[in-house]
Amino acid sequence: MSKLMPEGLIDRAAIQLSLFDRLPDPLLSGAGSALNSLHLLPDEVLSATQALWAPRNRETGVKFLKMVARWVVEARKAAKEGKKVILVPFNFPVEVIHAFEGAFPLTSEVLSTLGVVMLRGQGERYWDMAMGLGLPDHLCSSNTIELGSMLGSDDFKPQAIVSSAPGGCDVNAKIHEFVANYYDIPHFFLQKPPEASGRGRELYSVYMRNLISQLEDFIGEKLSEERLRELTENTNRATELYHELWDLHKAAPSPVPNVFSLFIYGARFTMWGRKEATELMEQMVKVAKQRLAEKAYPAEKEVARCLWAYTSYYYDFLGFFNWMEEQGYTHLGDGLDLYFPQVIDTSSMDTMIEGFAESAWNMPMTRQVGAETMSKQWTEDVIYAARELNADCVIYCGHHSCKQTWSVVSILREELMKRAGLPLLILQGDSWIKRMTPMSVIQQEIDEFVKNVVVKKGTKKRRPRKRRKPGTGDEKETG
Amino acid sequence: MDLDTIISESKKIENSRLREWKDGGGKVVGYICISTPVELLEAAGVLPYRIRALGNADTEMADVRLSRFNCSFCRSCLELGLNGTYDFLDGIIETNGCDHLRGMVENWQHARPSEFFHYLRVPHINDADSKNFFEDELKRYRQAIEEHFDVSLLEEDIWVQARRQERVRDKLRTVYEMRERTGPAFTGAEVLSIFLLATAIPAKDLEEILDSVIEERKDHKISDYRARLLFAGSATDEVEFVKAIESMGGLVVTDALCFGSRAFWPQSAGGESEDPIKSLARTYLDNLLCPRMFDDFKNRRKYVDEAIKRANVDGVVLVHNKFCDVHGVDNVQLRMGLEKQGVPVLQLEKDYGAKADIGRMKTRVQAFLERIGDTK
Repeated sequence: MSKLMPEGLIDRAAIQLSLFDRLPDPLLSGAGSALNSLHLLPDEVLSATQALWAPRNRETGVKFLKMVARWVVEARKAAKEGKKVILVPFNFPVEVIHAFEGAFPLTSEVLSTLGVVMLRGQGERYWDMAMGLGLPDHLCSSNTIELGSMLGSDDFKPQAIVSSAPGGCDVNAKIHEFVANYYDIPHFFLQKPPEASGRGRELYSVYMRNLISQLEDFIGEKLSEERLRELTENTNRATELYHELWDLHKAAPSPVPNVFSLFIYGARFTMWGRKEATELMEQMVKVAKQRLAEKAYPAEKEVARCLWAYTSYYYDFLGFFNWMEEQGYTHLGDGLDLYFPQVIDTSSMDTMIEGFAESAWNMPMTRQVGAETMSKQWTEDVIYAARELNADCVIYCGHHSCKQTWSVVSILREELMKRAGLPLLILQGDSWIKRMTPMSVIQQEIDEFVKNVVVKKGTKKRRPRKRRKPGTGDEKETG
Repeated sequence: MDLDTIISESKKIENSRLREWKDGGGKVVGYICISTPVELLEAAGVLPYRIRALGNADTEMADVRLSRFNCSFCRSCLELGLNGTYDFLDGIIETNGCDHLRGMVENWQHARPSEFFHYLRVPHINDADSKNFFEDELKRYRQAIEEHFDVSLLEEDIWVQARRQERVRDKLRTVYEMRERTGPAFTGAEVLSIFLLATAIPAKDLEEILDSVIEERKDHKISDYRARLLFAGSATDEVEFVKAIESMGGLVVTDALCFGSRAFWPQSAGGESEDPIKSLARTYLDNLLCPRMFDDFKNRRKYVDEAIKRANVDGVVLVHNKFCDVHGVDNVQLRMGLEKQGVPVLQLEKDYGAKADIGRMKTRVQAFLERIGDTK
């Protein structure tokens, strides 16, 4: 059995993705609908496909699937051709690897997500493989599911790992280090300096240039200015489209379907700089504009505009993204969408590399967490996004392994209320593993919060709450 | 000061020597991580105090700020910060040790800001560019101390303190040699008590205290134990926890803890012909044997291997506090490597300061000692 059927996450997902890659769009769209209606897929997989094939998402969902399929198929092809497949975390700009003819990036967290939404058992077996080695259960499932597959099966292995999490997330950085050591895979770093102002930012550029030079040695190829320019022009186009989508999100009701939040960073984390990502972004803008013109919205009315402060939930697209908008709860995006790309100057190799450094600096998590403080930039970005997008509330998903954000979420809550008058719902669960908190519970908590806090907030005057400050016994503050 | 007094004084957050120092108008600045060069504080006449929780299990106020997914050691320290126990501190030096620690300090400062607060930025990788950055960082640290305490830190003053720290490290190494020898002079719990007091009293008293304890125990030999253990992992200032391990017959003859050898084992780099800041930057960054550093696992492993050989260890106990990611993962790497080498390893995950965990831990240690067998 094991010889006929692959065991690893990438190998298993690649079977479906190769098929998606080969099917023409209309056929894929039809085939997906047929599979859904005939209930030929396992229930857990059905959730994702039903969400993507919902009429409002279908055309874009197909493009998204095709992009992801191409990404995985090309990675495997690259490995077969002797190119270097390099595993990166989500906060590393993949275009740096795409810039090399002889290398291809795979992103741990995207692979985990694919395992969760495409495979029977939702990737939990890979998590268990990692736990079987004695790794702590407070690791992050976003990468440990994929890395567990590498550790516990004969799955596809990368030729190198780049880690950009030191300084931004201990748990992400440590698990990648563990896997690199376990298999003695070359490991490269792009650490976030502990300072975000001028000196730290300058140092970050130095680190980026050092990394590129190490990668050139490892891959055995000098970056080509021409290839870099072509790639950068694509990223610039995608950047413009990102900002168009941002502006479209401001309209009420939101013309941007909830699941587009995931599509936006799905593109960012896999094929940014490649035409597939740019085409997906164009498709999303097209759909959102059309829906704006039609004043289309999945529910009778938009009840609440919810910004997600960090990650969303990924094990049940239908129960999360689609359910929310069908209740009238708009998902305005989450922390992973907050990477604010900028147009890169393509005039020289130097300006483009500096542009890469700036992109890397602004990747989600790298941008928000670490350096001077754990909470400041995160709080600033969330408040900025909440104001810009006219959010009625903010929700923190409480992914249990996000210790850095968990450690300062109380500060975010205070600042949000004080500066923007916005309530923060703090949930608890695992964004990738359903057995921690089932989607029905998440739905209930969101529902109660919106109905009893957010909606009533608009109709009732809230009285400031008096409470004691710790330790002083006599100071009071308003809540 | 004899060993019994040291043990009794080390149980207090505010020991009597510290109290005398404060009563005499002395300043005290808290620091959290071993990457903090205490020499600069000492050169300014300030007492550097290593922040600890001493097994405090009450985290009621801290839990309002840090979540249950944050390390319980950090929650315990935060509790003491919020409830006023640490009000004797005249300032705090923060370092970016780990995500939990940073959240702890940030919440502490948010709720109860210190009069003097400085963030000492420590790189995660020790390459040439990061070394230069850290050197620059120490210059800023020096400047912050000078400005706040209105002092001038001359190179010669810094060298005086660097040399004093060298002597202190030498004496602590002597204590370790005495615990690591065939007839150990100290238990692990005793050494932890000595270390705790050594990082909480004025420098002028420290050398004398270490001399007296070395003299007191020079001929002492402990023989009633079943196995010689190395203890490594998360920040562990819980003397009672070490006692619990030792009560099962496993004598902790050495460690690789930041509340232990990792804080003082490294030798200082360079001589007085060079800039002391440059020398300190190199000493502290080159020897930061903490899993928060990357591209450095081989050195951490080597350090443990050397301690195992030096102390003729029968088994290794690796501990991490629940939700401690850096040690949680590093301990697995260490365990795998050591077991491959034939070294028995016990890996423990525990809640900090939780009495409920003690019984469970003792049972695990007991079973581990059975596994090792009577080696004596």
